[in-house]
Amino acid sequence: MLSTTSDPRSFNDIIAKETSTTLVTGHIFEGLTTTNAFTTKVEPHLAERWEVSPDGLVWTFYLKEGVVWNDGRPLTADDVVFTFNDLIYNPDIPSSARDIFTIDGKIFKVEKMDDHTVRFTLPVKFAPFLRGMSQPILPQHKLKKAVEDGRFNFTWGIDTAPEKIVGTGPFRLTRYDPGQRLIFERNPFYWKKSEEGDSLPYLDQIVYLIVQNADVELLKFMEGTLDSYSVRGMDYPLLKPLEKDGDFTVYDLGPDMGSQFIFFNQNPGKNPNTGKPFVEPHKLAWFRNAAFRRAVAHAIDKDKIIEIVNNNLGYPQHSPMGPAAGFFHNPHVVHYDYDLEKAREILRGTGFMDKDKDGFLEDEKGNLLEFSFYTNAGNTERMDIAAIIRQDLEGLGMKVNFRALEFNTLVSRLTSTFEWEAVLLGLTGGIEPHFGKNVWMSSGQLHMWYPRQESPATEWEKRIDEIFIQGVQELDEKKRKQLYDEYQLIVSEQLPLIYTILGVKIYAVRNKFGNLKPAPYGEIFHNLEEIYIKEGYK
Amino acid sequence: MNKQSGHLSEFQIAFRHFRRNRLAWTGVMILSLLYGGAVLADFLSPYSFKDENRNYSYAPPTSIHFFDNGRLAWPYVNGMKLSFDEYNKRVYQRDPAKHYPLQFLVKGEEYRFLGLFPCRRHFFGVEAPGRWYLLGADARGRDMFSRLLYGGRVSLTIGLMGAVIAFSLGLIIGGISGYYGGRLDNFLMRLCEMFMMVPGFYLLLALRAAVPDNFNSVQVYFSIVIILSFIGWAGLARIVRGMCLSLREREYVLAAKSLGLSDIRIILRHILPHTLSYSIFAVMLSIPGYILGESALSLIGLGIQDPYASWGNMLSDAMSIVRIKFAPWILSPAFLIFLTVVCFNVIGDALRDCLDPMLKAEGHRDG
Amino acid sequence: MLKYILKRFLVAVPMLLGIALLTFVLIRMTPGNYLDTVRLDPQFSQETIAYYEKLYQFDKPLLVQYIQWIKNLLRLELGYSFHYNVPVYRIIGSRLWNTFLLSLAGFLLTWVVAIPLGIWAALHRNQFIDRCIQFFSYVCFSLPSFFLAMLFLFWASQSGALPLGGMYSPGFESLKPWGQLTDILRHLVIPAMALSIGSIAWLQRIMRGNMLEVLGQQYILTARAKGLPENRVIYLHALRNAINPLITLLGYEFSSLLSGAALIEIICSWPGLGSLMLTAVRSKDIYLVMASMLMGGVMFIVGNLLADIGLAKADPRIRYE
Repeated sequence: MLSTTSDPRSFNDIIAKETSTTLVTGHIFEGLTTTNAFTTKVEPHLAERWEVSPDGLVWTFYLKEGVVWNDGRPLTADDVVFTFNDLIYNPDIPSSARDIFTIDGKIFKVEKMDDHTVRFTLPVKFAPFLRGMSQPILPQHKLKKAVEDGRFNFTWGIDTAPEKIVGTGPFRLTRYDPGQRLIFERNPFYWKKSEEGDSLPYLDQIVYLIVQNADVELLKFMEGTLDSYSVRGMDYPLLKPLEKDGDFTVYDLGPDMGSQFIFFNQNPGKNPNTGKPFVEPHKLAWFRNAAFRRAVAHAIDKDKIIEIVNNNLGYPQHSPMGPAAGFFHNPHVVHYDYDLEKAREILRGTGFMDKDKDGFLEDEKGNLLEFSFYTNAGNTERMDIAAIIRQDLEGLGMKVNFRALEFNTLVSRLTSTFEWEAVLLGLTGGIEPHFGKNVWMSSGQLHMWYPRQESPATEWEKRIDEIFIQGVQELDEKKRKQLYDEYQLIVSEQLPLIYTILGVKIYAVRNKFGNLKPAPYGEIFHNLEEIYIKEGYK
Repeated sequence: MNKQSGHLSEFQIAFRHFRRNRLAWTGVMILSLLYGGAVLADFLSPYSFKDENRNYSYAPPTSIHFFDNGRLAWPYVNGMKLSFDEYNKRVYQRDPAKHYPLQFLVKGEEYRFLGLFPCRRHFFGVEAPGRWYLLGADARGRDMFSRLLYGGRVSLTIGLMGAVIAFSLGLIIGGISGYYGGRLDNFLMRLCEMFMMVPGFYLLLALRAAVPDNFNSVQVYFSIVIILSFIGWAGLARIVRGMCLSLREREYVLAAKSLGLSDIRIILRHILPHTLSYSIFAVMLSIPGYILGESALSLIGLGIQDPYASWGNMLSDAMSIVRIKFAPWILSPAFLIFLTVVCFNVIGDALRDCLDPMLKAEGHRDG
Repeated sequence: MLKYILKRFLVAVPMLLGIALLTFVLIRMTPGNYLDTVRLDPQFSQETIAYYEKLYQFDKPLLVQYIQWIKNLLRLELGYSFHYNVPVYRIIGSRLWNTFLLSLAGFLLTWVVAIPLGIWAALHRNQFIDRCIQFFSYVCFSLPSFFLAMLFLFWASQSGALPLGGMYSPGFESLKPWGQLTDILRHLVIPAMALSIGSIAWLQRIMRGNMLEVLGQQYILTARAKGLPENRVIYLHALRNAINPLITLLGYEFSSLLSGAALIEIICSWPGLGSLMLTAVRSKDIYLVMASMLMGGVMFIVGNLLADIGLAKADPRIRYE
């Protein structure tokens, strides 16, 4: 019995966009490859093995024999070809996967060689190719008709009868009560065997309760209804002492993937309708000054934020690839300690002084150092972080007008009207640096401080662009790491995003599960198919 | 206003009647205290609402000591030191070396006394760097007591202002609707019903989403007041209209008409005053709705924004079982909301009892 | 009578459309639309977003979109939910029923508890028991219902007496019909209590007031003077006349419970419209919001109509033309 906080929005993995959906589809569908939760290495999954041509452009995958959809039909190369050619590369189907598998506007050529062999021909070298091949494969025999009728976008929505959703994964959906729960049942056709030769999965059923309120979730865990609970920092002192009595264990899996950062608008553009600049020119000059951003970085009290917001459970973040990213994380970047004196000094050095003695600083031309600072409402953790940062910036003599906006309003300012000055926001991360290209390349639309640049505005942005272009085509892991290390260093020097803290992944799980192998990468139940319920707990 | 003089004595009778209701009188006293506290918040509170000290996150109410080394001493507080125990629980240890005697009229942050002249004296407190938390501290080490006083400014006025706006709107629309009748009445009443039909909470959400985000805190405050009253006026308008329907057939209204007085004059002078007694207690009874409404908005993060305090946003901080367990003092805003709402209800009820004879004499004579 | 009902429905139609327009304008007044959430996902490209924009006609003027929506409404299509990527009615159906169930339970609880309580209090005016009831009604009236809901849940987790939120127990399917019913009822207790406790306090006071007023009337005194048994006086004559005015409140009360349920649903994980609406409004899932508003309006109209019909049945003096 597990829980989730919100309803899935679809069962359609191609259209699906967010975690509440992938939580469901993750049990049902599988890709050709998978990522090892301990080593973060790519391993074969639906594919038995693969071959790659010496130039790294032609990949041949050999599918496992005997893999069967959960309605009994065998998985063939046709399904793989269908998933790519008819779904992902179908212009009528909006899919985020297409963005990943398109390089410079060119797509992969996907061909069936025989029933169990597929060949991918890449236009250029593509380093994260294997990791990308964890893209879930969908059944042709179930979806072909919908695609032909042009109805695929509306297929497998949340109103679909569960038995119609067919995948190769260890579990299949048997029931969905909106707002209440999802029930999965063991897939009797699942291909994977345990080392002893048992058919997997062991568990007969998984139930997800949809509980919107985290406190109720906690109560339900303590009461025994839920078997696992994702522990917030503040819950830790409550749950940890109860481990023995409650017969559960609290696992600390280290830093989280998601990052929280503050950033300033560096967009020199003008509103095409009114002709007014997005940011007033004198403010733009501050924001584009790296020294100013460094001063702000020195004013972020990471330790106290961790103490207050996360109950002393958390990590300061310095680099865009957090420690959770594993291999690509670069610990040797510039660290900014909480040092208000230093921050003041830097500000003085850039010409900020309190000339009229009103308690606030002015720049050399006498403009008051004032800006608006937004974050999204509804995320209490982020609100607290913003409040703490604001207090310190005011202490430095900046006049900060803080406001929590509705998420949508904030996003439309960031991406279409560009009328904002400073924002605190978060992004989820991953272990593959290239999948963040939309944020880091100057043409990217999530290059939030100055998105969709026609050519890089600064030298360092130009260098990051080069790194990303080189990195994606560099197949030697060591050289790749060097490249991405450099990008992390540049970011920490230039601070387009000023990082704050990383949360921790802590789970409380009842002691009834056997084979539970919590791993730093992946969720606590990453090997769900191997988990069983111990004797005496049934 | 010659008509009014006759009523005044009736109001006086009602007032005497009201004085005799001890429960209601207690309510008035408590409310006066709360309002007084809100008005004098800068002076009475030892700290400002945004004065935070990160070393005192969720510090418990500071214990006051009367004995120093076994000898009776002027009451004092000790310094506190925060550490986390093996379970990451906050533990505050007393630091006996640091000794801060309690003081009256202590020097602190500067403010404008009653908004008139600058002043640095606070009614009570301890000298910095000591901290005295009468009711404990919140997450960022801000004094709950001070924030409650400041929060009262928002929560106690939001009800009054909201009710006044809603009732002016309700009275005018209800009055016009009831007096003129016919098509206008029909249209206005359908409009009322439309507002009553929309589930209030959803309307609240939609309206709040429409408030421009570049508003400053005062503007946000007023927009919340207006939104809340926007939802509340329809019910009253319907009741007032009902009363007007019967009032307009009265002899003196007919007489006023035949004298050629203008409609607006008749509505304002001769009809609405007769609905006044109903309105007074209805206002009293509706105020709690606004206070609770603000707390509901705060719960979903759309109320008054931090660092400004309102009882609603303080309560929403306390909407967590874990926090209540480790820092039960953050429940204090719930207690104040509760107290205020009870007081308004008690007073409203007492007012109704007092004004009831008049009601019967006017509106419901032929009912 | 039938004519009257028909007329009421005809009047309701423009009002419902008015509500829809109001909602539509409100939502569109604020900057940003549903696609904003998608825009921040690093894995989405411009083309994908442009595609969606075209699909949902966000590029057309407001009025065009509204007229399009009404046209669809006439064909009984409530529109499409962007958030869930399915037609709106598919999402609303089961949730509407759940919200209705919760509101109904809260409503019944209110009336079943408040009316006898009000009578009891009135009959013992200013005695100890009356004071107690009045005191508790003040207490119940004075806390936000969402806060009460949380306290109830906390209490339930400590005592283990009642399930913590949700609507069904895990083993619901295997229960017999009778067991299923009691299971749902057990889950209903906390949200229905949190929902109705304020209304109970309020209705109880009105009932008490009405009862006192009626008991002081001439005909009751006459009946007593004639030597009718006290029970007969109270339950036959006084009660009928004291309840009548309350019936008008019935419809309004019902719709207000519906909207009051939203926060409680979220806290108690009750799978109703409330939580759906909250996300829908926030993510500007416009057609879902409009449909939910419409449903609320319909419930109000039906509730009011039932109240008026009930009143006409109960009070022979009232006739509708």
